[in-house]
Amino acid sequence: MYKNYLKKIFHWKLIITYLTVILGLTVVLTTTLGAAHISSFVVFKILITRLPLVNNLIIPSWSIGEATIILQIRLPRIILGVLVGAALGVAGTTMQGLFKNPMADPYIIGISSGAALGAISTIVFGLSIFGMYTIPLMAFMGAAAAIFLVYNIASVRGKLPVNTLLLAGIAMTLFLSAIISLMMYTAGEKLHGIVFWLMGGLWGRNWNHVMMAFPFILLGTTVIYIFARDLNVMLLGEEPAQHLGIEVETLKKIMILSTSLITAAAVSVSGIIGFVGLIIPHVMRILVGPDHRILLPSSALVGGIFLVWTDTLARTIIAPTEIPVGIITALFGAPFFIYLLRTRKRAMF
Amino acid sequence: MQSVTLRINNIACRYETTNVLENINFSATGGDFIGVIGPNASGKSTLLKSISKVLKPHTGVVLLNERDVYTLKSAEIAKNLAVVPQESVISFAFTALEVVLMGRTPHLNRFEMEGTKDLIIAKKAMELTNAWHLRERPINTLSGGEKQRVIIARALAQEPKALLLDEPTDHLDINYQIEILDLIKRLNKEEEMVVIAVFHDLNIASQYCDRLILLSKGRIFAAGRAGDVLTRENIEKVYGIKVTVKQDGISGRLIIHPQRKRMTKATKGRVHMVAGSGSAVSLMNQLVDDGYNVSLGVINIGDSDYITAKTLELDVVEEKPFSHITEESYEKNLELIKQADYVILTNIPIGFANIKNLKAAEQAENLIIVEKEPIEERDYTKGEATRLYHQLRANAALVKNSHAVLEILKSMESQAKS
Repeated sequence: MYKNYLKKIFHWKLIITYLTVILGLTVVLTTTLGAAHISSFVVFKILITRLPLVNNLIIPSWSIGEATIILQIRLPRIILGVLVGAALGVAGTTMQGLFKNPMADPYIIGISSGAALGAISTIVFGLSIFGMYTIPLMAFMGAAAAIFLVYNIASVRGKLPVNTLLLAGIAMTLFLSAIISLMMYTAGEKLHGIVFWLMGGLWGRNWNHVMMAFPFILLGTTVIYIFARDLNVMLLGEEPAQHLGIEVETLKKIMILSTSLITAAAVSVSGIIGFVGLIIPHVMRILVGPDHRILLPSSALVGGIFLVWTDTLARTIIAPTEIPVGIITALFGAPFFIYLLRTRKRAMF
Repeated sequence: MQSVTLRINNIACRYETTNVLENINFSATGGDFIGVIGPNASGKSTLLKSISKVLKPHTGVVLLNERDVYTLKSAEIAKNLAVVPQESVISFAFTALEVVLMGRTPHLNRFEMEGTKDLIIAKKAMELTNAWHLRERPINTLSGGEKQRVIIARALAQEPKALLLDEPTDHLDINYQIEILDLIKRLNKEEEMVVIAVFHDLNIASQYCDRLILLSKGRIFAAGRAGDVLTRENIEKVYGIKVTVKQDGISGRLIIHPQRKRMTKATKGRVHMVAGSGSAVSLMNQLVDDGYNVSLGVINIGDSDYITAKTLELDVVEEKPFSHITEESYEKNLELIKQADYVILTNIPIGFANIKNLKAAEQAENLIIVEKEPIEERDYTKGEATRLYHQLRANAALVKNSHAVLEILKSMESQAKS
């Protein structure tokens, strides 16, 4: 049995290694794809110049325009895709585990509608106090305000009953959605921009967006991963978890705040990309099992891989026109998920 | 292993404004096996919750080794105290072994993986509860009983010094009930583990617990040894039912029987039973269920026929324990026999004390004799009973068992009607 157990840990390391390699390949390969035709060979060479130690071995043989397309347009967008996908994967996994509810996703407690309200207000009222970063900043503030309200509505005498939290989140979402609908109804020619933001996408994002989202996503994800084993125990129920030495109320608060942080960061730079945070955790639970110590990192990696590929499709399929990536994620992800549901006999939730 | 002391000091608990526990005081130390009993909503589970740091008492303290559990870290408590809940809902596909390994959580550092030592402990716990063969099975595919054995193993993997159980064997078959409780009793004695368990089965509680706490409406109604707590009066007051409390002749433990109330109204003929020595218990119940108006006589007080008849609220001609039938009760018996449509003589041993019952039976109009053994084998009167019995037999319907009695009665009834 010890052998079996060691095998399991080895197996986990293998999974992480494979997925990391796939993610690396994904980044490199998708960088070669795009509306502007730049040969793969040139792309590789440009990328290598950005690596330490080996960057002096390459003699530049490309135009400045090509380097700009690769390094300032495609690469930041792809890296942001990795970040947002990973954030949504981790946040979705955590929410589903915490709520013990297969319908939970990163947006369930109202973060998305708060962010949307912030972003849409910016568009409708034409705000530009922070220049091109006004929308992400306002979205982040909207998300933070929404989660602050939901959290305080749901907490009762220092405790946070998860079902109340869930319902408070749904109520908040409905209320904010009504306001959003009203704004859209009266938005006139600005409607297109609103719809485009709501569907979620990564077009036109640069390194600054990456730098805005990165610290929050890194911090939140790290905190959540530290509590991975506690999340496993929480699946036994709150009382049993308490009996096994988990400070349940503290853990719930830390998890809700961390999840909110990374979701808000992701939404503020990418809009509301659906499906990834709901389905990736399910797919990974089917593939690697329910243990959060492997489930969280693999959901992060696969979330990143998945979003980068779907975004690549979104920007190339009818190039130079872009399709919102949210459409692609559901269009290609849902059938795959249904296939997994049908072929796996073991109940997953 | 160092044993622990649990002291519950005058606690009171409330849900909103309803008091669910009040004035609860008791303590337990190494080797104590305390049973908490009481009707539904008497506060049993709440008591366990307040001890295990789930529901903070409104007043009073719970002390684990003289330290307030509500100031201790959960992990610190979990190293000493394990809880087996009434029911576990685990909808995720963890294997049984993974669930048991979660019992090691309080002993592990944050980034520590479960090591060989933890696996050995988990394996031992699962072997003790007979769950090792389930180790690779996903927990959500196990039956209620299998799951409960895994959960108990998880609690044991905590290496607790005190174990709280909330109706732990509810989902188990009788063989596993005994096996698990025997195991817990063994750990309780050998490892000096404190066990506090909620039971709703009073017989099981009296069998395993050194001390019982009987709760009623959130207060301790009685506490102490089973014999002092489980009295007829206490149970009637707290549960509102009549019971018989007997002591088992072999083990000396208490056996509590709820008394059944008479369900059916008598609609059929009068049946008088000449019985004794417990020979009529099951037949009496069947006759009452079938709707006969049953009486008995003459029976000594304390005989199990007597107890059953009294429970069913039947007419009984009684005699003092171990005494001969007096003229007075003989006459009473005769009166009932004459009134009866049918008289049944059960397979009783006959001595000089009860030979008058045979004489009375001579007056029966329709006599049915249940003969399982020949009279010679149960005649303690040197032949007189045998002589009387054979006279009775000549005019009676003879049957071998209770089932045949019911059939014969049925046919006699239908003949009488037509």
